[in-house]
Amino acid sequence: MPNMSAIVHPQQRHFNPYAENGGTILAIAGADFTVIAGDTRQSEGYSIQTRYAPKVFRLTDRAVLAVNGFAADGNMFVKKVKQRLEWYKHAHAKDMPLRAIARLIQTMLYAQRFFPYYVYNILGGIEEDGSGAVYSFDPVGSYEREACRAAGAAQSLVQPFLDNQIYFKNQTAAPGRSHPSHLPLPDVLSIVVDSFTSATERHIEVGDGLEIYIVLAKGRSLQGVEGLHGLRELSTQEDGERVFVLQRDLKKD
Amino acid sequence: MECSFALTGKDYVLVAADTTSARSIIKMKIDEDKIKTLSPHLLMAYSGEPGDTVQFAEYIERNIRLYHIRNLYPLRPQSAAAWIRRSLAESLRSRHPYSVNLLVGGFDTADQSPHLYWIDYLGTMATVPYAAHGYGSYFASSLLDRYHNPDGTLEEGLATLRRAIDETSKRLIVAPGKYMVKVVDKDGIREIEL
Amino acid sequence: MNSFASRFIASSAENEIRQAKAMAEEEGLTDAMWGSDAGFGSLVTGHAFNVPAVPDPSAFLRLHTDDHADPNCKIKIQHGTTTLAFRYKGGVIVAVDSRATAGSYIASGTVKKVIEINPYLLGTMAGGAADCQYWETYLGIQCRLHELRNKERISVSAASKYLSNLVYSYKGMGLSMGTMICGWDKTGPAVFYVDSDGTRLKGDLFSVGSGSTFAYGVLDQGYSWDMSDEEAQELGRRSIYAAGHRDAFSGNTINLYHVQEDGWKFIGNYDVTKMHYEGPGPDVPGAPVGGYGYDVRTHGRFSVLPTAVPA
Repeated sequence: MPNMSAIVHPQQRHFNPYAENGGTILAIAGADFTVIAGDTRQSEGYSIQTRYAPKVFRLTDRAVLAVNGFAADGNMFVKKVKQRLEWYKHAHAKDMPLRAIARLIQTMLYAQRFFPYYVYNILGGIEEDGSGAVYSFDPVGSYEREACRAAGAAQSLVQPFLDNQIYFKNQTAAPGRSHPSHLPLPDVLSIVVDSFTSATERHIEVGDGLEIYIVLAKGRSLQGVEGLHGLRELSTQEDGERVFVLQRDLKKD
Repeated sequence: MECSFALTGKDYVLVAADTTSARSIIKMKIDEDKIKTLSPHLLMAYSGEPGDTVQFAEYIERNIRLYHIRNLYPLRPQSAAAWIRRSLAESLRSRHPYSVNLLVGGFDTADQSPHLYWIDYLGTMATVPYAAHGYGSYFASSLLDRYHNPDGTLEEGLATLRRAIDETSKRLIVAPGKYMVKVVDKDGIREIEL
Repeated sequence: MNSFASRFIASSAENEIRQAKAMAEEEGLTDAMWGSDAGFGSLVTGHAFNVPAVPDPSAFLRLHTDDHADPNCKIKIQHGTTTLAFRYKGGVIVAVDSRATAGSYIASGTVKKVIEINPYLLGTMAGGAADCQYWETYLGIQCRLHELRNKERISVSAASKYLSNLVYSYKGMGLSMGTMICGWDKTGPAVFYVDSDGTRLKGDLFSVGSGSTFAYGVLDQGYSWDMSDEEAQELGRRSIYAAGHRDAFSGNTINLYHVQEDGWKFIGNYDVTKMHYEGPGPDVPGAPVGGYGYDVRTHGRFSVLPTAVPA
């Protein structure tokens, strides 16, 4: 009888390199501004890992990227996008335009087609023509320009609310009136805050803190951001597009 | 489902293949030619994995054509069949094997004789007087055992082929609707309306 | 099928993984990445795809992305579609819906499923949204290069074969696309069906996607070669409506394109719900008065079904 225990059998190990870290992000484009926001809670299962893990990042003075899904992949991805944008700046002596960043993100995501980044990206900012723009991506790089988009754990709670409030879905305008095609900044900001307070109420993976990025078109007045409590400016110059960030508390239970 | 039939007779080979191209439950095309003309006296009916079929058939078609161009004479059916089989057998041991089943029928102009080869995706080859691939083979092989005449005229061969196709249409639930029939003999290759 | 042969696939994959690892170590960085190259800079030296270091990379991909096999899988690639294209005497009609689903969630109702490869070639999108979008954009680049090298536009046949050969080289790796490449070349109007199995078919009429059977039902019955442009556009629109109405994974809006000798033209975007109740409207030639909906169309006539009051 041969010693069976000496025989090494090949074994298949279960390889799962992915986790889901909760949270929600959203972005809304206005006529000459864009708002990109995300909560700051990071969790795995029912445990909260941290109450402050940013999911929204300034890329340039006119582009902000929100990343949701698997935090490790997300952070790595943002790091690589920022690196490519810096290389671009050195090669061309200017920041990459928004639509080009969108295409770059597509090709970077698709390069991982057979080992995807588990991330849902929303890119917001100002287009070269001065209009506000939002681009949303799936994990392997299909993308589309939209006026508003929610992604992440509470997307199914937030997106219908946005459809109703931004696109006026299932609302009928008063006789002789029509719905506005773009909302003013203060209205958008209150919709964003309401989206997150409501999502925090009904979703366990949303809460703790809220970061709202505001990108203003070149030459636009500060109307709508002036006087906002705790507003911080992140832009590098005052005569181009300008980026601001707002921080708000969300419930922490 | 895909069906192909072939039979030899006196100085000719008949090759028939259905003309449907399906994807799950949908017929995407109903007039697809699945019989390639490899050389002036050589036919090949192909079926199997979508994608593989056309890629493999075009590879064979072009290489046999290349042989003809280089040597000014075509490969004889016996040699062509052997080379085709070998290509499949080598593919089987590769990273991406072609899953293609073939019926190769030809007329050897050197000794004026018809030849038919049944080849499957594993590289199995058999020299046969008649052959079939697909679900149709379960009905046709016994029928051809009973009715095939190796010395039959073209009319008799066509009648036998029609029997095989009719029986398949009668009994097989997923029978194809239309077939393309080609004949190869001393005069070359022609398409025949059944 | 072919289970004996497939046993050998896993072990010989190790070789490929070793190569992929070597590539990943070098990070595949090229000089082109410093510049722009339309974002496709990383493709200059061929496609460097990162592959997981497991015995069977396609099984790994399937495990994490196939929401049909496992609805709880994490990465939900967008699926579900109805697309159609047909050839007739006046050119090619291309019509698609605009819904993208991830599981049972409607991820988007505004997807552009017609990909404008260049001013005279259109591609449709069914299956993996990213696969179609990415490879058809890539096809556009190659078509332009063909034009520059040969001083002549690429034929629809050649363009579709380029795509077909490309996806065939990835067979078994998990790409998912079912597309129609449509255009007008020296041979006249042309439609080719190309999918990720490697199938490529020339034909007059195709429909692809989860709602394709419903579209075929209307399309086949209404089709004739000699239709007028208005009739053809109406048939495309009506067929996608039918699929949007019957297939839960299709709907929202219809995008309609017409390809003629001088290239493609966008005809319009139509809301499926609006088509149900009102139809495309009186200003659209070839369309019937009133909605497409069965109950709208038969309202007040003898029926065993009482009609619901629209909300």
